[in-house]
Amino acid sequence: MADIVTITIDGQDFQVPAGTNLVDAAKMLGTDIPVFCYHPKMEPVGMCRMCLVELGSISVNRETGEPDLDENGEPVVRWFPKLQTACTQKTYEGMVIRTTTEKVVAGRDDILEFILTSHPLDCPVCDKGGECPLQNLTMAYGPGQSRFVFTDKLNLDKHVPLGELIYLDRERCIQCARCVRFCDELVGDDVLAFHERGRRLQIVTISDPPFDTKFSGNTTDICPVGALTTTDFRFGARPWELDEVPTICPYCPVGCNLSASTRLDRDTGGKKIIKRIMPRQNEEVNEIWICDKGRFGHHHSRSTERILHPMIRKGDELVTVDWATAYAEVAARLKKYGDRTGFVAGPALSNEDLWELRKLTRLVGEQRQRGLWPATMSGIEAIAQAGAGVGTRVQDMGPGGAILVIASDFEEEAPIWWLQVKQAADRGVKVVVANARGTKLDKYAAATMPYAYGDAVAVMNGLAARARSRKKIARSLVESRVDGMDALIDSLKGVKVPHPEAADLLLDADDLLIFAGGEGLTLAQHGELMQAAANLLILTAHVGRPNNGLVAVWPGANVQGAMDMGFSAETTAALLDDPPPMWFIAEADPAGEDVRAAEVIANAECVVVTSLFMTETAQQADIILPGQSFAERDGTFTNGMRRVQRFYTAQGPIGDSLPDWKIFAHIGRQMGGDQPRISTGLVMREITEKVFRYADMGYPNLARVEKQFPDVGGDDLYYGGTAYTNTGGLGVQWKTNAEHEQHRLTVRPVNVDSFAADGLQLIPVRVLYDRGMWFRVSDVMDQRVPAPYVELNEADAAGLGIADGEQIAVVLGERTVEVRARVNGKTPAGYALLPMRLSDAPTLTVPAAGVVQKIEE
Amino acid sequence: MNMVRGFATTLKHVIEGPVTIEYPEQERPVRERFKGRHALKRYENGLEKCIGCSLCAAACPADAIWVEAAENTDEERYSPGERYAKTYEINMLRCIFCGYCEDACPTEAIVLEHEYRLSFNDRYDAIYTKDMLIDPVPPGVQGTPQVTEPGKFTRSIPDMENPK
Ligand code: SF4
Ligand code: SF4
Ligand code: FES
Repeated sequence: MADIVTITIDGQDFQVPAGTNLVDAAKMLGTDIPVFCYHPKMEPVGMCRMCLVELGSISVNRETGEPDLDENGEPVVRWFPKLQTACTQKTYEGMVIRTTTEKVVAGRDDILEFILTSHPLDCPVCDKGGECPLQNLTMAYGPGQSRFVFTDKLNLDKHVPLGELIYLDRERCIQCARCVRFCDELVGDDVLAFHERGRRLQIVTISDPPFDTKFSGNTTDICPVGALTTTDFRFGARPWELDEVPTICPYCPVGCNLSASTRLDRDTGGKKIIKRIMPRQNEEVNEIWICDKGRFGHHHSRSTERILHPMIRKGDELVTVDWATAYAEVAARLKKYGDRTGFVAGPALSNEDLWELRKLTRLVGEQRQRGLWPATMSGIEAIAQAGAGVGTRVQDMGPGGAILVIASDFEEEAPIWWLQVKQAADRGVKVVVANARGTKLDKYAAATMPYAYGDAVAVMNGLAARARSRKKIARSLVESRVDGMDALIDSLKGVKVPHPEAADLLLDADDLLIFAGGEGLTLAQHGELMQAAANLLILTAHVGRPNNGLVAVWPGANVQGAMDMGFSAETTAALLDDPPPMWFIAEADPAGEDVRAAEVIANAECVVVTSLFMTETAQQADIILPGQSFAERDGTFTNGMRRVQRFYTAQGPIGDSLPDWKIFAHIGRQMGGDQPRISTGLVMREITEKVFRYADMGYPNLARVEKQFPDVGGDDLYYGGTAYTNTGGLGVQWKTNAEHEQHRLTVRPVNVDSFAADGLQLIPVRVLYDRGMWFRVSDVMDQRVPAPYVELNEADAAGLGIADGEQIAVVLGERTVEVRARVNGKTPAGYALLPMRLSDAPTLTVPAAGVVQKIEE
Repeated sequence: MNMVRGFATTLKHVIEGPVTIEYPEQERPVRERFKGRHALKRYENGLEKCIGCSLCAAACPADAIWVEAAENTDEERYSPGERYAKTYEINMLRCIFCGYCEDACPTEAIVLEHEYRLSFNDRYDAIYTKDMLIDPVPPGVQGTPQVTEPGKFTRSIPDMENPK
């Protein structure tokens, strides 16, 4: 803990940790020091001079070390002759500041007048007008009148696209460099820079494609003026007209808290619609950042392609029916096929949906085949035992901590976690990246552990072996409550440790957090990888406390919840191996994503789907039920760190669509089940009674909020930016077995077999900007979604006579997909990386041998 | 004497004639500063003054105004700045003719004019849309949208003067 020092602000004494930034310290103590360029999440630069204060120190007698006293017995303060910038000061013993004196007031006034000399009077049309720090601070501290000749202002370009997502208005920029520093320092993407000097100083993008970062939207939040605005929102409404609805991003396991800014809209017949998505502060999850996919990927919620009514296939035609008919028909089919029905839940169904679906599976028969899509990752038992401790925050980890990221292209799969881990690396946390190919995180890693595809489990097991040989095993934990130790220890004897130095970085750390992805692993291997990680963490007692444990980089926003509700990828795999005649597929598109699933579903006798869009799977369906997107309904998602978080209804329903949980409950009713609940809150109450890990997840608990630092929203826009204050709830994490004292933990030897590589292996990889069933309709992002491609090793490509950029064919069993070849020296020999959900045709979700060839003319 | 004075007053009013007029056959001119139905103004070149900033809607105590904005391009230009009102509606049943919108407008685009004959048979008819509110195009110039040459309208907002 840092030393506590006494500082005096405006005559009052306060105790604060030494070395706190003065602006932050004052803020926490309730004194506002206005700033433009300083941001509590970034290092200060002292560029704008808005934060001027009178600064002094208590004069101390050199001999006695006692403060000098004046004739009144007050300590003598030695003031700096000039005003100082508070943002560049750190607190120290005897610091004295004054923030309200005439000198300070005049100083601020001058700075504002100076900034305004080059700032246009665009407030009436500016998207920032109404939530603009410059506007607010001018009102609070600025001059009432300008001495400047209005027509004498400098005119610069007003409509400069920085990439297709962000517009720059050069005149409005006050050169605080927050945007540049955000990209450079926090994200590490060198995409923005200053150009020219003096009054002509301006922001330019120096990357190609322009503004090439996945976090560009955040710059618009922290820009203290309207210089950076998004194309998505451009003139969509004035900020004060918007209703903020707390919601959760439906795309990835981070579970970023969002605020949907909604407003009535003429074009949609006077319905309330989402005008923009803003970050909502949750320091436990996404802090105040979100990625561009979450920010701009909301358009599917009111796309014109949405399915509006229930439909039943009659012959070759789909006939629109009412809900009652649809329920009866589905129930009739479920009765007919009974146990020969396979259920598959999508990756972003809410917990309430999943619970009702689970109840439905029970009414159908004894088998209860509850599958999960995509069927690529498993290991819920490992999470249940050794998941990251409650209260884990990567932001809190310091040089004593270590993070292992294995088998994941982290930025593509979980952008905000990537951002947090990258910043952790900057702070000195030992970040170790293990993957079969280079990823963007490598640059920041303290060490990397490259391996050949298929060997991830062996790498993880090697770490456990290293822990054993270096006697890092935590005796007290192991002896008191761990089962299966002997077998595990035996199995670790003589195991090779692939990267001993990197392993030691991890083993010597006080805190160890593991993020495990599924890249290049078969489903069975992934289960083993998770167990191997759990073994290591339990052996070394990195469980049951914050900043320690295992996090899976699941392939979806609520895969964790689906597993908690009893759905599993193994079941899906089993169903695909031995296909039942009837499939019930909820908000997933297996036929559009995987060739094997496409085959099986095409041959099914009966397929029922709930879906927003006419996906490949929906096109094969006999009964199509229109579900709702995250925006039209409420519910909860469980993120990858097991935090259950609520989202709320933001906009009106499209067509006759209904939330999935209601659809399932109504079908269940037809099958003799209960009367459907009237709200998700009641469904959740039932879950809290039946699922012990969710006992604390009642809606009132999930909706609890507390004050978080830094202050955002409200009057503090100038400080943290326009992220919104959290009003929807911080969510609750469920406890792992390691955190329940009475539970025992189990370890077991793992199977480290690699897959037999025979010829070229196709490895499906995840990319953030894909053509997944929802994201594809977000037009603003179109240019960011790459054309379908496959990445090849140069030797392999040369052998096949394939050049970089060439259009080639990938043969997947019976089908071929045409994609562009990328030969860029990043792919290991013998493997071809094929992004999932990028082609319109189905590809692969699990690694398989395959053929890549030139297209015959 | 008092009685005589009383009769004289009566007589004066008898010969003065009626002060009421036969409305609607006859109409009386309103005062210069009378506040009647709004009009959306144009510049002499035919472009609309309204920039779709919604400040009138924000100022309106009766919540009678609805504005939705969109962006001008040189190919399709409605107003001189970057932004124009795509939708502009005033619900005359809500309006209390206070004139706050007029005060709030930075471009003097919305003005309460002298028209006061407002009556409707249907509540929906009370919603005046942009087409009904906007002034006719001055003679000899193009209406909106106009095609304008690039580089001419480069400001976010047209230059404004303080109201006199
Ligand atoms: S664009 Fe905004 S954030 Fe960037 S330097 Fe200018 S004022 Fe600051
Ligand atoms: S990081 Fe993930 S959860 Fe957060 S906004 Fe992006 S896709 Fe959504
Ligand atoms: S100089 Fe301190 S906030 Fe800008």
